[in-house]
Amino acid sequence: MRMHPFKQVLLHVAVLVMIAFLVFPLLLLVFNSLKTQTQIFESPMGIPHGVTWDNFRTVITGGTFLINLRNSAIVAFSTVILAIIVTAPAGYALSRFKFRGRTAFSMWLLATQAFPGIIMVLGLFTVLKVYGLINTLPGLVIMHTSFALPFSIWLLKGYFDKIPIDLEEAARIDGCTRLRALVSIILPLSVPGLLAVATFSLLLSWNEFFFALVIMRTNETWTLPVYLARFLGSGGVVQWGPLSAAALLVTIPVFVLFLLGQRYLVSGLTGGAIK
Amino acid sequence: MKTSRSANARRPFLEEKRALPFVAPALAVLCFVSLYPLAQGISRVFYSFRALTGKNVYSGLQNFVLLFRDPVFIRALLNSLVWTVTSVAAMFFVSYILATMLNSRHLRFRRAFRTVTLIPWALPGVVVSLIWRYIFLSGGPLNTALSGLGVIHLPAWLIDTHLALWTCIIANIWMGIPFVTIMILAGLQSLEGDILEAAAIDGASYLQTQLRIVVPSIKKVILIILTLESIWTFNSFDIVYVLTRGGPANASMTLPLYAYTWAYGSQQAGYGAAIGIIILLILLSVVVLYIREVLQ
Repeated sequence: MRMHPFKQVLLHVAVLVMIAFLVFPLLLLVFNSLKTQTQIFESPMGIPHGVTWDNFRTVITGGTFLINLRNSAIVAFSTVILAIIVTAPAGYALSRFKFRGRTAFSMWLLATQAFPGIIMVLGLFTVLKVYGLINTLPGLVIMHTSFALPFSIWLLKGYFDKIPIDLEEAARIDGCTRLRALVSIILPLSVPGLLAVATFSLLLSWNEFFFALVIMRTNETWTLPVYLARFLGSGGVVQWGPLSAAALLVTIPVFVLFLLGQRYLVSGLTGGAIK
Repeated sequence: MKTSRSANARRPFLEEKRALPFVAPALAVLCFVSLYPLAQGISRVFYSFRALTGKNVYSGLQNFVLLFRDPVFIRALLNSLVWTVTSVAAMFFVSYILATMLNSRHLRFRRAFRTVTLIPWALPGVVVSLIWRYIFLSGGPLNTALSGLGVIHLPAWLIDTHLALWTCIIANIWMGIPFVTIMILAGLQSLEGDILEAAAIDGASYLQTQLRIVVPSIKKVILIILTLESIWTFNSFDIVYVLTRGGPANASMTLPLYAYTWAYGSQQAGYGAAIGIIILLILLSVVVLYIREVLQ
């Protein structure tokens, strides 16, 4: 069926308006990072004239930005690796085996989403304290992994469901052990699923603020979101130029990785939900 | 040996033995970092911090008693409900319309538009909050635009007690749109094109088609979106913390922020835990509602 040309134009205009609403705030951030403080307040929405890189220079040379960047990278990378190692077998088992408590396990995974951050942080704080992990990167990795697990298992189950069981059976008739079939047949096919988990847990860890705020107590152990919040609340007039530059630098790495991984994440999320 | 699904069903115990090595690591980790901390966190509610001795002492249910006499708690509870219901409702409404448009065969550059829609999703919550804090500044972009439109009494978004919570809600809606849109879009794509075509031929309007045909067919996806998004929004901390810190005068205080303020601002972990338990009860009832609806 054809659409009336007028209606079709209207459709495009409506979509463009929505897209503008979603993109404009980010554009403001980019503009601000390239303006001086005076420029920012003279024309809050204007395109910068006479680009300045001073804001970026201030952020990188002063303060703890680079140390906090390193912290964020270490924590996010470790969380991704840990999440994959732990969730891949669990997702596989949920998809392939029938076992007592399978439904209960799935319900539990959903229920964990409802656990309030404050209760978890109070409890985890006690656990981490026992092992001397407060104010350390491994402590935060444990927190982020616990946060990423349930959703990742659920995501992966959806992926394994899509891989036909016949493939495995055929391999096993040909004399493969289950483990062998798993490693050489299922694992390569589930790479998109693993990438979905990687993207999800990376996003979660890199962007996570609450747990990091509570357990990272010194400038040297902050992650980037804590750095930004402290920057904003450090008293006096907010330096929007440098702050925007810092926020942009925090956003760029995860943004690029997200663009690379979003295809897998989206198909993983939507596959799991529709089944 | 050939194993098929029907054979598996007859040998549940054998299956369990095989499943165990796969599930065990996740179970162990979940017990260690989820189940145990949950119990540990909940147990904190029975203790109160005494500033004189600097120790936590057993105080029974005192924290709950104090909670229900605390007007700020009641305020935060109401705020949290408004914050969650309006955020999720608005997110859903906007995303639904956006998703149907992005699903239209008549839209050019659909792929590009869909990818761009995802942008707010990738941004850290703190960054999103910073941007919106700037947008809502008294001399910021929004008020500049409004004064350009001839508005004389410019609102002080972040400082006005009637507006502060709404500024947070707007930022939250903005951040939530991509996830909701992409999920609805996936639901729409799973529909057979014929049904919509037939409805259109029969002269059904946009609204009729959506309400009578589309929404019932993707009910399952809608339920999971509403459940997850409600839980996440209710638990959300970043936006309110960065935008208003719950102020002015607790006008935008929500439960997670209030719990944090007590537990880490005033050392009263027990009181924070009591607030946390109320959150837990509210959210678990949401989960139970969802499970009941799905099992039907």
